[in-house]
Amino acid sequence: MDTSSPAAFVNGALLRRYIGQKVRAVIQVIRSDVGSVIGKSTDDQQIVVKGSPQPPLTTYLEVIGIAETDNTIRAEVWTNFGDSFDVQNYNELCKLANGEFRHLFI
Amino acid sequence: MEVSLTAGAIGKIMNGEVTTEADMIPVLQVTDLKQIMAQQDPTRERFRMVLSDGTYLHQGMLGTDLNNLVKEGTLQPGSIVRLTRFVGDVIKGRRIVIVPQLEVLKQISDIIGHPVPGGKHNDQRGADSGIKFNTTEQQGSGIRQVNNIEPGRSNAAISPQVGGTGSSVPASTTPSTRAYSNPSSGNGVTRQDYARDPPTSYPHQPQPPPPMYANRGPVARNEAPPKIIPVNALSPYSGRWTIKARVTNKAALKQYSNPRGEGKVFNFDLLDADGGEIRVTCFNAVADQFYDQIVVGNLYLISRGSLRPAQKNFNHLRNDYEIMLDNASTIKQCYEEDAAIPRHQFHFRTIGDIESMENNCIVDVIGIVSSISPTVTITRKNGTATPKRSLQLKDMSGRSVEVTMWGDFCNAEGQRLQSLCDSGVFPVLAVKAGRISEFNGKTVSTIGSSQLFIDPDFVEAEKLKNWFEREGKSVPCISLSREFSGSGKVDVRKTISQIKDEKLGTSEKPDWITVSATILYLKFDNFCYTACPIMNGDRPCSKKVTDNGDGTWRCEKCDKSVDECDYRYILQLQIQDHTDLTCVTAFQEAGEEIMGISAKDLYYVKNEHKDEEKFEDIIRKVAFTKYNFKLKVKEETFSDEQRVKATVVKVDKLNYSADTRTMLGAMDKLRTRDANSLPINPEGSDYNADVVNTGIGSSGTRDPSSVQRRDFGLHAHQSGQSGNHYSGGGATTSCNVCGNSGHVSAKCPGATKPQEQGQYMGGSYRGTTGSYGGGLPRQHVGSY
Repeated sequence: MDTSSPAAFVNGALLRRYIGQKVRAVIQVIRSDVGSVIGKSTDDQQIVVKGSPQPPLTTYLEVIGIAETDNTIRAEVWTNFGDSFDVQNYNELCKLANGEFRHLFI
Repeated sequence: MEVSLTAGAIGKIMNGEVTTEADMIPVLQVTDLKQIMAQQDPTRERFRMVLSDGTYLHQGMLGTDLNNLVKEGTLQPGSIVRLTRFVGDVIKGRRIVIVPQLEVLKQISDIIGHPVPGGKHNDQRGADSGIKFNTTEQQGSGIRQVNNIEPGRSNAAISPQVGGTGSSVPASTTPSTRAYSNPSSGNGVTRQDYARDPPTSYPHQPQPPPPMYANRGPVARNEAPPKIIPVNALSPYSGRWTIKARVTNKAALKQYSNPRGEGKVFNFDLLDADGGEIRVTCFNAVADQFYDQIVVGNLYLISRGSLRPAQKNFNHLRNDYEIMLDNASTIKQCYEEDAAIPRHQFHFRTIGDIESMENNCIVDVIGIVSSISPTVTITRKNGTATPKRSLQLKDMSGRSVEVTMWGDFCNAEGQRLQSLCDSGVFPVLAVKAGRISEFNGKTVSTIGSSQLFIDPDFVEAEKLKNWFEREGKSVPCISLSREFSGSGKVDVRKTISQIKDEKLGTSEKPDWITVSATILYLKFDNFCYTACPIMNGDRPCSKKVTDNGDGTWRCEKCDKSVDECDYRYILQLQIQDHTDLTCVTAFQEAGEEIMGISAKDLYYVKNEHKDEEKFEDIIRKVAFTKYNFKLKVKEETFSDEQRVKATVVKVDKLNYSADTRTMLGAMDKLRTRDANSLPINPEGSDYNADVVNTGIGSSGTRDPSSVQRRDFGLHAHQSGQSGNHYSGGGATTSCNVCGNSGHVSAKCPGATKPQEQGQYMGGSYRGTTGSYGGGLPRQHVGSY
């Protein structure tokens, strides 16, 4: 498993490209379960983030971890991103960073 | 074997798009072959052929190496060939395809389709009979290409018709007459092109179409008594003349009264096949006689009448004369349609051009209606009420202008435009003969002879629509009309380098722009001035007051002294974005917004309490924050030096979310432009740099000058260093004081002038920054 590469910016749709690799995503928390957080990706897809973050959680969270399936991330790093966040811009960033301007990103 | 011809190949060869096999290897059909003798060397035989792509025909010359193909019968009329080597060349003004190598795909085949000579339509017979060459070599002598088609036979057959009216014959449905009408209607098409859009049509038709009366055989003259001359050839010295022209506009019959009595007058405008236009005026009985006969859009033969100088006040047509009809004049309607005479003639100018045009100029303009306002009633000076309606028109020049409709236009065209706009579409509007007025900036108003065309069927309209769909919708437009820019607030986002590159502020009026930039540096020793607090109307005088030395302050303007003065900001800032840095001045309100403390309080912190620590703290908070600055950029003169000065009108703390959206929009625009494979212009590379600034990375394609710019951008935190780097670095030695190239700032004549306000702006204080060297942000404060 390649974990040496830095985390790629992903939204829900892009997650499947990076299965087994390190990703970062901003999610809107829907609910917290034991050992996982159910959230919504910036492109409105439901994502399960495994792991146990330190509460309290803000509305938006950035998670960095390994993409396990096309809708699961095993998170290593949890960062509170506050309660107001421009989801749309982030989603555009994800698209650009994985599309036309991919060469600009590590 | 089924072979298909390369569709459109002839068209591409004709217009020069395809000149060799490197551009395209077309499959074409040979419709005719003809042996010719070279004039200079009769022993060398060559074959000329007619090539067809199924739609059009084109002349080709077979390379001599291939003569045996013809002789052995491999290549014959009807053969389908692939041009594996060929050159499209212009010989004696005509385009000919020379084919040194070809591959015969099919020896004989029926003629495919109904090809017609290149660029011409509706010759059905060309296909049936093939085209016979005119072997008398008269092509080179200035006779049009169409004349080459069966001239020997058609001369006799068609001349009565051509000569009779000096114009085309109406297209008839029977094949035979169609063939006859081909030459003249072919001319018609060309001529129309010529009138509408000369630059693009020239390549198709290298020889300009001769005037109507040229090339008529003697037969024509015999049976056609009136000699039709072009409108542009009319002069007071023309004797007996007849013109054939279309009525493009007709004014109402007007009653007038002047010292010499009463009368009535009406006029109409004519346009002929050569694009000549002229106004015709009729008075009194003559007016009555012709008024009903004249219908806009119809063709007329008009003869006799006197020519007099055009009254340019009322007559904006491009003709120095106008025709006055009298009792002897005749007007005869032509019932045969002549496509050669356009229905309208426009001389479109872009809205951008209007900006520099004089008041009262008459202009034709076409654009997209972006908004329209309801009709209002205006009372004229003479007490009569008239409806008025205004709309915003924008075009590819990135400008928009207010078009004001008066009178009947409001209800007719205005209502239609209104309902189109209401239904969410953006119609194209062509204004023929609008008058430029300088009411509220520049506006275009309708006049009596104006004509409005909604979603017209022109190339220009099509282009505009496409542009609007592609990018025009989202491109911000600068309005030439003040009212709109005031309320609509088109926020023109620029980069700092654009101030210099686009020479902002150097025109008559100041430029208002918004830049997103970081405050790099503030000048502290004179951040405010002592101002006169005496109220003058509803606002304080605010002029500078001088210390009398006894604790009172004197204002020269008010001629009074006050015990306590006001303190107002006059903040000199250095701001930087990813493209460049510049100096700006922020006055009271903007200054307060930036500093977050009133000038008076700050003054007290520094000079009364001498709390250096707190002062530095305030300053440090301000430095390196990003704002959206609304700037007024204007060139001003200080002691004979022209300087572009930027004043902060308004500051807003950066809204990162909104700013990101703006950047995404800009990138989107850039990408669509790249997709259209247009060259990246300086603006484009600025957008690239935009990307860089967000920390995403570098795209690596940049011209040297902007690399240099970017370099110091990276050293943003050390402004001293950046100053040095900027003035000394790179191949382009330009002065960072005055912006001129050719000397560096140390030698800049502008930098040695006494330090007054404008001087700072120019950047002599950039020199100061350089002197204390690249340091930590804290040193910005410490050095003072």
